[in-house]
Amino acid sequence: MPTLLEVQRAMRASLVDRNDDAVAAMLPQGIGADRLNIYRNTFLVGLTKALSLCFPAVRRLVGADFFEGAAAQFISQHPPRAAWLDRYGAEFPDFLQHFAPAATLAYLPDVARLEWAVNLALHAADAAPLDLVRLGSLAPEHQASVAFVPHPSVSLLGLDHPADDIWRAVLDGGDAALAAINADAGSAHLLVERGADGVEVLRLTEPAWRFARDLVAGETIEAACAAADGADVQALLAEHLAYGRFVDFHVAEAAHGAAA
Amino acid sequence: MEVHTENYMGGGTPLACLDAIRRDFPISLHGVGLSLGSAEGLDAAHIERIRKVAERIEPGLMSEHIAWSVVDGTYLADLLPLPMTEEALAVVCRHVDQVQGALKRRILVENPSTYLRFAYATIPEWEFMAAVAARTGCGILCDVNNIFVSAHNHGFDAAAYLAALPVAAVGEIHLAGHSIRALADGSTVRIDDHASRVIADVWALYRIALAQFGSVPTLIEWDNDIPPLDVLVSEAAHAGALMAAAAATALPDTEREAAHADAA
Repeated sequence: MPTLLEVQRAMRASLVDRNDDAVAAMLPQGIGADRLNIYRNTFLVGLTKALSLCFPAVRRLVGADFFEGAAAQFISQHPPRAAWLDRYGAEFPDFLQHFAPAATLAYLPDVARLEWAVNLALHAADAAPLDLVRLGSLAPEHQASVAFVPHPSVSLLGLDHPADDIWRAVLDGGDAALAAINADAGSAHLLVERGADGVEVLRLTEPAWRFARDLVAGETIEAACAAADGADVQALLAEHLAYGRFVDFHVAEAAHGAAA
Repeated sequence: MEVHTENYMGGGTPLACLDAIRRDFPISLHGVGLSLGSAEGLDAAHIERIRKVAERIEPGLMSEHIAWSVVDGTYLADLLPLPMTEEALAVVCRHVDQVQGALKRRILVENPSTYLRFAYATIPEWEFMAAVAARTGCGILCDVNNIFVSAHNHGFDAAAYLAALPVAAVGEIHLAGHSIRALADGSTVRIDDHASRVIADVWALYRIALAQFGSVPTLIEWDNDIPPLDVLVSEAAHAGALMAAAAATALPDTEREAAHADAA
């Protein structure tokens, strides 16, 4: 008699690898493969639906049949690692990058990267914005050493293609909007966040994007300013704080020690 | 109102909606991802996510399934059938104990709908359900449609299944529609797809369940091909009417309490 673990591994082979040999030997005589197909179908349809919800613009760009074919390959190579399907699909953009049938659509992986960031922002944990009184009460000599904790929904994307324009045209615009898109218009520096009215995708200048990226990565204000030459960092910082993009801060150790 | 716990593990709009509903209605958190039957043990991170949703929502009921979906760290995104063996029973009971300990409350476990069974299964499913409840103190979520579906698929007697469940353990009932698919060998399999009205045979089985278990909270599951709201409301109203009729013809309360005490 096989152990429970052996049964479960055999079932996994049937669903993920489409190999019924091991599990078929554990079933009563005369049980057809079509009963296993019911489970395989539920597995595939459910996960394809999860990917469709996360990547609607990619699906529109390539069409339903193409998307389902790509999803089936992706699912067998990258089945979910947790029972939390809102977080399923992180590897899909890189999968598309190497998916030969999509090679002519050079912008497709960038659109997928944007959709993944939007999905993360949509489902990110709630967090109260930083209380600015706390920041204001900090001694002036410590202000340059402040390092922030970003809101869980905030992320920065540096993309080679104008994925935000494509994404908006695909989801909100008609054929005319789509036809007007120049997919080779160059790079896009984006900030994605969840605001009071839902998920926002903002286009930043490159210096402003570097500043935001460094702050979100936990660099000090001083270090972020050094990498943001040409940007009005005071105005940018005020905007980040006003939009609640940070939820906490600390004063970095080394500079703190030097100040003391 | 009952929701899948897994759909509220982040923040933002979904959780805000659930908070708003919670202000007006009691909530039942019905999980689909815990994989109580996994040989390799439970995912501690998943238990913690469930615990956080429960802490925020303070649900009236919490439930999961007699099934498995995780092996070798892969989530197979379906409620897969367990071989009904002593090993599987011990695994499920250990995990129900673990979850009830982590959540500091009783949970209900739901009987599955299954499309295949394993050659070396040794325990009838109804005995498996009763044993889990007896060994762990958990309750049973009796899915009447699942009993009907599995009885057809495996050739057992649905009414006898119901009669074998411990009355005092049953804390909720599920009803749903299902579909019928023809197999290559000429037989048919019934599939629990929550995509249509409850059929007459399942309503009839529900009447038997009400006579046996009393007025247990009942949910119509309809989460595929979702109909206009009035269709769903009329299904719920029909369940309510059957429950009221059953209560009117039932034993006086004092006698039923005595019957419950005997069963416990």
